[in-house]
Amino acid sequence: MQTINKDYVNPVGKSVPKIDGKGIVTGQIKYVFDVNLPNMLVGKMLRSPHPHARILSIDTSKAEKLPGVKAIVTSKDTHLIKYGSNEYFFPHTVDQLPLEDEKVRYIGDEIGAVAAVDEETAEEALKLIDVKYELLPAVFDMEDAMKPGAPAIHEAMNNIAVILPVNFGNADRALKESDYIREDIFRTQAAAHSSMEPHVCIGQWENFSNKITLWSSSQAPFKCRESLAKCLKMDLNDVRVIKLAVGGGFGSKLEMLPMDFAACLLSQKAGGLPVKITYTREEEFSFSRRKHGMIYKLKSGVKKDGTLMVMTGEVIADGGAYCSYGPTVIAAAIMRTFMVYKIKNFRINGYRVYTNNPISGAIRGFGGVQSGFSVESHIDMLAKGIGMDPVEFRMKNATDPNMVTINKMYLSSNGLKECITKATEAADWKNKHGKMRNMSRGIGIGIAADVMGSKMYKSHESAGSIVKVEEDGSVYLFTGAADTGQGSNTALSQIAAHELGVSYSRIRCKSGDTEITPFDTGSFASRVTFISGNATKRAANDAKKQILSVVAEEFKAAIEDLDIIAEQVVNKKDNSVIMNFDKALDLCYSFNYGRQIIGRGSYNPKTTPVDFRTAEGNVSGSYGFEAQIAEVEVDRETGQVKIIKMWDAHDIGKAINPQAVIGQIEGSMAMGIGYTLYEDLKFKNGRVVNANFANYRLPKSLGTPPMETILIETIDPEGPFGAKGMGEASLLPTSAAIANAIEDAVGVRIKELPITPDKILKALKEKEEQERLKSPETPVSAARG
Amino acid sequence: MKMTLNINRKEHEVDIKGHETLLEVLRDQLGMTGTKTSCNESECGACTVIIGKKATLSCITLVANVAGEEVTTIEGLAKGEELHPVQQAFLDNGAAQCGFCIPGMIMSCTALLNNNPNPTQEEMEYALDGNICRCTGYLKIFEAIRDAGGRLSEMEAPKESTFYRHTPETVSSKS
Repeated sequence: MQTINKDYVNPVGKSVPKIDGKGIVTGQIKYVFDVNLPNMLVGKMLRSPHPHARILSIDTSKAEKLPGVKAIVTSKDTHLIKYGSNEYFFPHTVDQLPLEDEKVRYIGDEIGAVAAVDEETAEEALKLIDVKYELLPAVFDMEDAMKPGAPAIHEAMNNIAVILPVNFGNADRALKESDYIREDIFRTQAAAHSSMEPHVCIGQWENFSNKITLWSSSQAPFKCRESLAKCLKMDLNDVRVIKLAVGGGFGSKLEMLPMDFAACLLSQKAGGLPVKITYTREEEFSFSRRKHGMIYKLKSGVKKDGTLMVMTGEVIADGGAYCSYGPTVIAAAIMRTFMVYKIKNFRINGYRVYTNNPISGAIRGFGGVQSGFSVESHIDMLAKGIGMDPVEFRMKNATDPNMVTINKMYLSSNGLKECITKATEAADWKNKHGKMRNMSRGIGIGIAADVMGSKMYKSHESAGSIVKVEEDGSVYLFTGAADTGQGSNTALSQIAAHELGVSYSRIRCKSGDTEITPFDTGSFASRVTFISGNATKRAANDAKKQILSVVAEEFKAAIEDLDIIAEQVVNKKDNSVIMNFDKALDLCYSFNYGRQIIGRGSYNPKTTPVDFRTAEGNVSGSYGFEAQIAEVEVDRETGQVKIIKMWDAHDIGKAINPQAVIGQIEGSMAMGIGYTLYEDLKFKNGRVVNANFANYRLPKSLGTPPMETILIETIDPEGPFGAKGMGEASLLPTSAAIANAIEDAVGVRIKELPITPDKILKALKEKEEQERLKSPETPVSAARG
Repeated sequence: MKMTLNINRKEHEVDIKGHETLLEVLRDQLGMTGTKTSCNESECGACTVIIGKKATLSCITLVANVAGEEVTTIEGLAKGEELHPVQQAFLDNGAAQCGFCIPGMIMSCTALLNNNPNPTQEEMEYALDGNICRCTGYLKIFEAIRDAGGRLSEMEAPKESTFYRHTPETVSSKS
């Protein structure tokens, strides 16, 4: 019999503790990083030291003779089948081999792997492998890579992997009809996910039954299974991918790395011994995935009354050596504007470009951080150009509920305007904006929207759940969703308990094992609460109906009249309690009935197919919205920016767990502050030069600003209990909110991230010069302050 | 070479070559995987344990140097099923997301609160500056410390120095 915590009855909307929280705070929860299997070998990757070269030969004979080396694999041990992340929408972008065969395209490109009894031996063996290369000219700048005659990295013309021409309305005519037009160019930098648990996997090949098990710190175990099966020519269900607790992902663990294939191949060659490959922090920074650096060129027109008439431009993204999730990143970087602004004329061409830099991929915000900075900075400047308050400008042009955008997205619930109103009220915008410059203080706003799912690698986006109610009253939830720390297991357990009518303390959540749990595309695109949540709600409802059917049969009642509410089976007609939940289970599992309670649920969001050549289609079953405000103080002498406070008003539909929602928002804002002010993954000739925490600065406890979060519950008609996803959106407007606040504080506009003190000082100096030229009699000192 | 380690009030005999770090011995020899490796170069704090009363980075501590010292790891805080007040406060305040930094974070917080159950905001920020968390943005961790401080002050708190690094005093004396 279960011990029931009465506080956790009707858990939706309550800040219950994480379902795996006790394991986390005691250190008992297991990450793949912590797993040690008997006779496990240590695997290490053989990497290219060159940014671009042809592989002439690989001689492993010396390494093979080193005592302790158990297996070495190269492309010869593979089927030369490529994998990629956008095979459904962009099949031609599937461009990476499990181990490269003819060419290497970045420093770190994987061409082989070694398994040995310990790390030292594996590293020694790597040094003994003799690889002969023919060096090829390399290109590191995305604009250079697009020029005719640039070194060809793949077969794509001018190194452009994907061109995305997004064109709606009549942009040229709208520009002519505009009263004010301005052009701006924004630049954003590469950044590292920096999950605290590095990439890690353990591969084990059962040689006799020819099955693979891969333990992987993954955000998408089912996607992992699919790529493994395809590239290793296995049947899908001869591959089992198991995810344990994941120490952060933020997009970096969404797709596979060559290490996942290598661990399996090494294990096969080593007679089935398990092989563990763990990235060092340096490998994590240099050879996993990173945020796309982008150039965002915008030219837009507005009417004097503040109507946003048209937006045109060009977006170029530095993709690095392979496509990864790049094609959909650039699509998302362009399409987000439609969710936020009512705009009828739009023409932006997106280019995702190959270079010999490390590979760019998915990272929290999925292109939205780069576009958020660019578009929301540009919008502020447009408002200023016609002398309008930036909040008023946004309110005039913001999207509404139940509207269809020009690219046919259907925005059902939409609290964007309420978010803007609530955030500006909380931050006291009216009394602060433009009124604190004497203190070098300023306030800025950014607004954003996000999807709940995106069908990135399959035609469907379905999630499945099973809710199994055991004889002893425990409730097992099986979900394919991959909790990476954001708390999806907790939110889904709350949904299951609430729908079933029982306490959250009964739930045991099992997730992310492709052999046991139902299919789920994984944790990305802020989709899990919305999509997996709906599947879970259906599964719990199915289980409830099975219990109620037994009760109805026993008491000769109509099942429609019965419900389970707060641990009690009740008759809704007269609100009478028939029995408690445990008694109902006794009945289900009694001599007469013996009926197992196994509920199932599946959910596929109502969307329309998106044509990614034009960006037309309803990509998501619902959309989330927010407004964010930053108040800053700029030191005119040092150029240092101090964040005084952040505000975020967020339309999350319904907060399943308010504490977890606020945790996501605060974490996003911290990440956004880091990216805006200092995070910068730097390369020199294709090599990452700051591959450690000492030189790649992350937000730390010191100087964390206060943050105020306002949750706006619009109760989405399609969401489980009205909930929408929200894991990524809070990161999107942060950079622009800070840049806009800096402009308000000291009157300079920084269009290139990160906004470092030297950029501010340079801009202040230029401004001073300009002001001096305008009025030559003004002495320099008077132009300050 | 055999040596005896005093970890979580129990003696453990280990066989060492001499160059192993405490972190390696904890995780690889003793199977105490609660203490995490994240950067392995003293920048992130995930490997923090308490030696004596000081929060210490186990990735740069040679195991040979902790002979005779009392080492406390995350596994040594709870008493049976009863969580340590700092652990309970982290759980109740939603201070953990992915959890990978949390064992180190909790050890740093415990060392801080053992010395000072009511730290100021500034003291908290300095004390945790060596512990990186990528998920939470730190605010819920500060809430957890305040909460735990309250719970601990109801119990008896020792009044000795417990700091190894990043106290306001050491930082200001450098500048």
